[in-house]
Amino acid sequence: MNAFIVLKFGGTSVSTRARWANIAAVARERLREGPVLIVVSALSGMTDRLKALAEAPTEPTSIEIIRQRHLAMANELQVSPECLNPIWSEFDRALEELQRQPGPSAQAALLACGELLSSALGAAFLNREGLATTWRDARQYLCSQAAEHDSEWARFLSAQCVPTLQASVASQWAEESPLSITQGFIARGARGGTVVLGRGGSDTSASYFGALLGASRVEIWTDVPGMFSANPKQVPNARLLRELDYDEAQEIATTGAKVLHPRAINPVREARVPLWIKDTERPELAGTVIGPEVATQRLSVKAVSMRAGITLVSMESIGMWQQVGFLADVFERFKRHGLSVDLISSAETNVTVSLDPSENLLDQRTLTALCEDLAQVCRVKVIAPCVAITLVGRGMRAMMHRLSEVLADIGARRVQLISQSSNNLNLTFVIDASDADGIVERLHRQLVKAGLIGAPGDAVFGPPWNVLLDKAPPPRAQWWRAQREALLALAASTPAYVYAASRIDAAIASVLSIGADRSFYAIKANAHPAVLARIAAGGIGMECVSLGELEHLRAALPELPPERILFTPNFAPRAEYAAALQRGVHVTVDSLYPLQAWPELFAGRAILLRFDLGRGVGHHDKVKTGGGRSKFGLLASEAMLARTAAAAAGATIVGLHAHLGSGETDPNHWRDVYAQLASLAEQFPSVRILDLGGGMGVPYANDDDDLDIDELRASLAHVRTLFAPYEIWIEPGRYLVADGGVLLTRVTQVRRKGDITQVGVDTGMHHLLRPALYDAWHPISNLTRSEEQPAVLCDVVGPICESSDVLGRDRWLANPCEGDVLLIANAGAYGAVMSSHYNLRAPALEVFSDAL
Amino acid sequence: MRSEIVAKAEVLRFLAPSYVDGVLSLPYQFDDCEPLIERIVFPGAPAVLPERAAAFDSAVSLLQTIAGVSYYKALLPPRIDLAPLSAARAALLTDVYVQGLGEFAVANGIDLRGYVAFDGSAPCPAATDLGLARRTLVPIGGGKDSIVTLEALHTRGEPVAATYVGSSDLIAACARQSGAPVLNIGRHIAPGLFELNRRGAYNGHIPVTAINSAILVCAALLYGYDGIAFSNEASASSANLTRDGQPINHQWSKGWDFERAFAQVVRSEVAADLAYYSYLRQLSELAVAQRFAALDRYHAHFSSCNRNFKILGPRPESRWCGECPKCHFVFLALAPFMTKPALLAIFGRNYLDDLALAPAFDALLEWGAHKPFECVGEGRESRAALAALAERADWREDALIQRYRRDIAPYIGRVDIEPLLQPIGEHGIPARVF
Repeated sequence: MNAFIVLKFGGTSVSTRARWANIAAVARERLREGPVLIVVSALSGMTDRLKALAEAPTEPTSIEIIRQRHLAMANELQVSPECLNPIWSEFDRALEELQRQPGPSAQAALLACGELLSSALGAAFLNREGLATTWRDARQYLCSQAAEHDSEWARFLSAQCVPTLQASVASQWAEESPLSITQGFIARGARGGTVVLGRGGSDTSASYFGALLGASRVEIWTDVPGMFSANPKQVPNARLLRELDYDEAQEIATTGAKVLHPRAINPVREARVPLWIKDTERPELAGTVIGPEVATQRLSVKAVSMRAGITLVSMESIGMWQQVGFLADVFERFKRHGLSVDLISSAETNVTVSLDPSENLLDQRTLTALCEDLAQVCRVKVIAPCVAITLVGRGMRAMMHRLSEVLADIGARRVQLISQSSNNLNLTFVIDASDADGIVERLHRQLVKAGLIGAPGDAVFGPPWNVLLDKAPPPRAQWWRAQREALLALAASTPAYVYAASRIDAAIASVLSIGADRSFYAIKANAHPAVLARIAAGGIGMECVSLGELEHLRAALPELPPERILFTPNFAPRAEYAAALQRGVHVTVDSLYPLQAWPELFAGRAILLRFDLGRGVGHHDKVKTGGGRSKFGLLASEAMLARTAAAAAGATIVGLHAHLGSGETDPNHWRDVYAQLASLAEQFPSVRILDLGGGMGVPYANDDDDLDIDELRASLAHVRTLFAPYEIWIEPGRYLVADGGVLLTRVTQVRRKGDITQVGVDTGMHHLLRPALYDAWHPISNLTRSEEQPAVLCDVVGPICESSDVLGRDRWLANPCEGDVLLIANAGAYGAVMSSHYNLRAPALEVFSDAL
Repeated sequence: MRSEIVAKAEVLRFLAPSYVDGVLSLPYQFDDCEPLIERIVFPGAPAVLPERAAAFDSAVSLLQTIAGVSYYKALLPPRIDLAPLSAARAALLTDVYVQGLGEFAVANGIDLRGYVAFDGSAPCPAATDLGLARRTLVPIGGGKDSIVTLEALHTRGEPVAATYVGSSDLIAACARQSGAPVLNIGRHIAPGLFELNRRGAYNGHIPVTAINSAILVCAALLYGYDGIAFSNEASASSANLTRDGQPINHQWSKGWDFERAFAQVVRSEVAADLAYYSYLRQLSELAVAQRFAALDRYHAHFSSCNRNFKILGPRPESRWCGECPKCHFVFLALAPFMTKPALLAIFGRNYLDDLALAPAFDALLEWGAHKPFECVGEGRESRAALAALAERADWREDALIQRYRRDIAPYIGRVDIEPLLQPIGEHGIPARVF
C-alpha cells in the first residue's frame, strides 16, 4: 500500500463551489500516488460567528444566519442539505449546554460544529463528483492530552494531542476508500467530549494526521505561495524559501511569519513527514517544502523578521550570585500572573526576559502586579516598547563575520538584549521600537548584498515575491540599450565616460516640476563644462563647495550671474569665504566659528545658515551628513547664538538650510525638512528662504525604489499651506546626472579562479570609486554581446593594486572576452569627479554627447 | 533691562471691515501705508441673518480690535485710531494689548503698561437675546484637553461641533476620531505682516486664544450656536514670573481674567444668550490627564506637542517631538493614571528612562529653575506625579525616577496627588452642562 497524502484546505479554500472543484482536482491528482486524506477548516468567517454565538447562545438571528449559510452552500454545491442533519443535532445540543452550563466545554462543542458542517458538505460534494469519499470524525482518532496545571480554557479551547503512528488505521482507511475527509481543529477530550485546538488548529490537525497515518507528506494549501525570507508586505522582493528543515521552519513560524502555525511543525518533525506549503490560487508553483534536512546547504540566512510589542523585564539582584533558587523565585512569579517568557539573557547580577508579545498588557494591571511581586525579591525595571529582530538560518554562528553591515546598522541603536539560540539557528536583537523604522527592509537588503539571502546559485531560494505574483516592477528601461551602435562608436578609446544630453534634459524637467522657487545643481556630482552648460541653460543655478569649484564655474560659464550661484563650504579657510562674498554669490554658513572669528567679512551681507536636524539619511554611513558627530551644520540649540553673532557682525540671515545626506527616496523627506526649518525660522524673523538641500535618490539596481517626483511636489505644496510663506530652494546633484552617464571599458583579461570567473577591465577604482568606497552597485552589461544571454557569473575587477578594486560581484554577463566593451551604468554622478592618479594610471576620457 | 519703546509707526488705524461670500476682511493701516488685510473664511459662506446684523457688527468690531494685536505689536505706534468704546470693552482690549503681550514685552525688553490705552467713554450698547440654537462650539487643538471637553459635553447630551481655525492635519484627524461635526475656519494673516517681520519689526508671542475666541463669537452668530466651550485649565491663570510687580503670564488669554472679562463683554454687547466659558477651568492638568487616560480611542491620534510640525504620521515620533516641555509634561501627567505599556505606546519611547532629559524634568519640577515658557502644569503637579510613580514597582527603577528618589525627593516636601484632582476656584460653566 502506498503511503497517505494529507491535504489541508483553509476557510477561504472551502467556501465556494469553484474552490471545492479545485480541491477535487488536486485530490484526483494525488490519488494517482496513493490514498488521500483531506482536512478542512470551517467555512470562512464561521469560527468567528460561532465564537460570537457562544457569547450569546440565544440570539435567533445569529443562529439563523449560520443555518442559512450552510444551506446556501449546500445549494451551491448541489448536494442535499440532509447530510448536515446529524450535525445540526450536535449544534442544538451544544446551544442547550451553553445556556444550561456555559463554559469552555460547551464552547468547544459549539465551535467544533463549523468543521463538522464543512466536512460533511465536502464529503457529499466529492462523492457527487465521482470521487468515492468516506467522511471520518476526527474525534475518533485524535485524543487530546492535558497537562496537570492546564486551565479549563486550555483543556477545551487550546488542546494538544500527541499522535503516534497507527499503521492499522492507515491500512483500514485505504481499504475502505482511497479518499477520506475529516475535520481540522477538533479532537476528543482526554475525559471524553469535544475539544478544539486553538487558533491555527487546522494546520496542526493536518500534521497530527500526517503522523498518525505515516503519510508521505502533508500539504497545507493556503493563500500565499509559501514561506518567504521576510514579510512580503514589508519587503516586496522577499525571496521564496524553496526548502527548509523543521527547525528552521519552526524558528521562522515562531518569530514572525504567519503562514504556518508553530504548533503544526512538531508532530511532523517527530514522524519525519515532509510538510508542503502550497498556494490555492497558483497550484503550479512549487511552494515551500519543509522536511528533515535540506540536501545541499550553503550558509545562508533564511529569514529576517520583526515582532513588535515586546516588553522586557529586567531584574537585578546583588544577592543573585550563587543564590540558590533565585531564578526559580523569579519565574514562579511570572507563572503566578500567567505570563509566559520568551527570550532570556543573564549576567552576574541581572536576568532580563522578554514577555510573549501576544500577552495583552495594555489595559490590564498584570504587569504592574507582577512588578509589585518581583520587587519583593529584586529590583525590577520594565523596558518598553521594544521590537525583536530575528535572523534565522542554520549555522548562524558561522555567519557572524559576514554580518558586519547588519551588526553595524543594529549597533547604531540602543540594543536592549541579544539572544543567540542554543541550537545555532537564530540570532535575535531587541531594540527600542522608536529605532525600528524600516529596519527589516534595510537588513534584508544588506543580507542580500552580503550574499546571505538569495545568493546567485543558491537553490534554496526561489524568486522574489513580487516576481512570483507578477507584481514586480517592469525591468527598468535602460536608455543605453537602444544606443548600442552610437556608444560603441564612442568607445574607440576606453575607458570613457559618456554623458547623454537628452537624459540630463529629462532630469532637468523633472527637477523643475517639483515646484521649488529656485534650484541649484551641486556641481561636485559632475563638473564637466558641457554638463554645467546644459543644466544652466535649463534654468537651474549652481552650487559650489570650494573656491576651486567657483573658479571652475567662472571659466566654464562666465556669463552666469552671481545670484544664480550658491556657495556652501564646510570647514573652508577664511580666504575662500572672503572670495565668495566678494563675488556676491549666495553664501551659507554652517558653524558659529566664521561669524564669531571673522565678523568683518559678513558686515552688510545676506547669508544662509545650515543646521543639522539631528539625523542622517543615506544609503551608507559615509553619505549621511546629519546626526551625532557629523561635521556639517549648526545644532538647533545654537540658533540664538547664531542670531546674536550674525547681528553683531551686521549680517542678515535670509535663509535656513538643511541637507541630511544622499540617496533618499521617501518623497516626504523634504516636506519634513521644510516643516522643521519653518519651525526653526520662528526664531529668525528675517528669514524668507528655506533651502531643503538635495539628496534625491536614484535607483541603481532594478529593485531599488524610484523617487516619486509627483508625490514630492504634492507633499511640498501641502506643507506650504501649514506654515507662513517661504521661498523654497533645493539642491539636486546626483539626481540630475547619474542616469545620463555611463562608463565604457574594455575587457583586458578573463580567468577562472575556483568557482568564479574574474573579468579584468581597463577601468577601476581610480576612475569609479563608488563601489570601493561605498559598496555601491552599478549595473554592468556586455555591450559588445548585447544580443547574447548573460550566462556567465562573474566578478568584474580593475587593475589597481587594492583588494577593493572590484567594480561588481556575482554579475551575470554575456560570455566576456578580451576586447569586449562593457558598459557600467548610472555612472554620471560621483564618477569622474572622484577619480585619482592612483598607481599612476591615466584618467578616463569624458565625452558629452548631444546626439544621445 | 527695560528699554525705551522705539515706535516704528505713528498710528494704527482700523479700517472698515467687510463680509462677503463667507470671507470676513479686516483691514489695518499703519500711517499712510498700504492697508494690511486679514481674512477669516467661514465655510459654507453663511449669510448674516437680518435680526442678527447689529450683533454681528459688534462681534466683528470686537474681533478686529482684538486681532489687531498681531499687527500692533510689529511697529508699536503710540497712537491707536479708534472710536470710543464702552468702559468694559476698553478695559478688555487694554488687557489684551498689555497682559496678552506680556511675554512679548519680556522678550523684547520693554514695558507696555501705560503705553497702550483704549478710550472707554462711550455708552455700553445693550445686547439682546438672539434665539441662538442650543448647541456648543468646542474648539479643538489636537491635544488632550479639548478632547476631554468634547467627550464630557457629549456624554451630557449636549449637541457639539468640533471647530478649529487654520490648517492642521493632526487636528483634522482628531476631529474625525470624535465623530462630531467639524467646522474648520480659515485664517489668513495679511501677507504684508510677514514682510514687516523680515524687515525688522518687533516680534514675539501674541494671545492667539483671544483672537480665536473672537473668531468663534462671529461663527456662533453666523451658524447659530449658543455656547463656546474652551478647554483652559486652572493652571493657565498662574504667572510664569513677576517683573516690576507685574505678573507675566505666557498664557494670559487662556486664564480666568480674560475669560471672565471677555464673556461679560460678549453677553452685554454682542448676544445676551451666547455663553463663552472654559469647561475645564476648575481642573488641574493632572485632573484633566486623569479624565483623558480613560478615553483610549483617542490615544493613538492626539498630540499636545507644540513642535510636532503640524504633520501627521503613523508613528508616535511624528506626533511627539520628545524634546519640548509639553511632551515631557503630558507624559508625566498621564503616567499615574495609565498602565505603563499603554503610556509608552502613545509616545513610542520612555522619557523617564532617559538621563539626558534630567534638566528638562527638573524644570518641570521647578527644581532649580522657573517653569519653562510653555503651557505646562505647575511644579507641584509634576512633583505629585513623580512621587506617585516612585511608589510603583513598574516605574521605580527607571533612570529619572531613581534619580528623583535619590537626589530630589529627600529635599522637597511630600506632594499627594489626591488633593490636586479636586475642582477648585471660579468658573463660567453654564448650569445645563455643569
